[in-house]
Amino acid sequence: MSGGNAVTTHGISKRYGRETALDGVNLRVPEGAVYVLVGANGAGKSTTLKVLMNLERADAGTAEIHGLDTVRRGPEARAQVGYVPERPDHGYRWMMCRGLLKHVAAYYPTWDHPYADRLSLAFGLRLDRQVATLSKGESRRLQLVLALGHRPPVLLLDEPTDGLDPVVRSRTLSLLAEHLADTPTTILISTHHIHELESLADHVGVLRDGRLVAQMSRDELQRTVGRYRVEIPMGWQATRELQVAGVRANGVREAQWTLVGDQRELIDRLTLAGAHVREVQPLALADAALAFLEHEVTR
Amino acid sequence: MNLDPRDPRPLYLQIMDEVRRALVVGTLRAEDPMPSVRELSSQLVVNPRTVSQAYQELEREGVLYVRRGQGTFVSPDVRADRRVVAREVAKRALLEARRSGLGVKELIETIRKVATEEVEEPLVPASSSKRGDGK
Repeated sequence: MSGGNAVTTHGISKRYGRETALDGVNLRVPEGAVYVLVGANGAGKSTTLKVLMNLERADAGTAEIHGLDTVRRGPEARAQVGYVPERPDHGYRWMMCRGLLKHVAAYYPTWDHPYADRLSLAFGLRLDRQVATLSKGESRRLQLVLALGHRPPVLLLDEPTDGLDPVVRSRTLSLLAEHLADTPTTILISTHHIHELESLADHVGVLRDGRLVAQMSRDELQRTVGRYRVEIPMGWQATRELQVAGVRANGVREAQWTLVGDQRELIDRLTLAGAHVREVQPLALADAALAFLEHEVTR
Repeated sequence: MNLDPRDPRPLYLQIMDEVRRALVVGTLRAEDPMPSVRELSSQLVVNPRTVSQAYQELEREGVLYVRRGQGTFVSPDVRADRRVVAREVAKRALLEARRSGLGVKELIETIRKVATEEVEEPLVPASSSKRGDGK
């Protein structure tokens, strides 16, 4: 591991008319990470990846892939990337799948023909089909072969399992794990199915309304978010400050809250407020990440 | 091998536990070949780094060893570490008991009692429908 960042953005902002799509996003994707970008629909996940691919121009800020500016040195930057877009629009709709694969392969000196054949087979692609006639799921599978086939150092995957049936979904994730074992790759993957990446992901970024509200490693995330089992006196009221952190009193003697913040500090604050913390349980990665989407977070 | 997606402990520790459990149960024995990092990451959909980390730790503990160019194997003189596995089970039971407001003594006495009764009426795992119970 070189320890640097494979993908970086510096204060990326993007507006569509009055809508703010991205607001000062500073992405740091470490070399070799499997970085999952989560957020509700419209939070800015796809826009972030499009800016990295220079398919969208940011209004402010810059982005780099392996130190290459994605605008000024766009072609070189994109040569490092395998990209699965949100909507599988290949252009070249008249081509056969086989033809499109050959066409794309010609652009990449690193194209691995036997590997691309194996992937096509594993995904059950019918190579004699015309691109225009593919279903959403088939398009997505073709897109994955095109992205992985040249074994790029960076993969940008926008909802890669969207539109796939459950069997193909889990096969896709297994293939990604194999790909990682064979080829050193940095993966930035946007999804609203974070649970299926539970054991593959090692970094998480959370986008909310265009802002990156959290970005941390798996360990850090699991240290920062906990499930608190707390005993409270009848009729106990949370202070305003604790309410903001996600504490809700519901008139029972025992309560459970998922809270974000330094564990010791939170326990002190709760104790001071008259609550008794019985247990703090760590959460699985997906649940911990979702905590950032569920309520206001004090930072 | 199975991992419980709800288990918040680090994944490499969970994989290590699964290997230890397999040794106690006997599904894994001395000199057995281990699946490659690639195979196991694909099967569990786990980051290959995590599998490597688990294998390296187990190698350090003398449970596994690497034959150059052939892969990872279970050590010839491996002894199933029943104590480690038992401790993990005990910890889980204790935590569960505490959560339900039960004391240690109460828990131990009840385990004895239930085990005696089980002779007549075998236990059915309450979580048999749940994923990730391992083998």
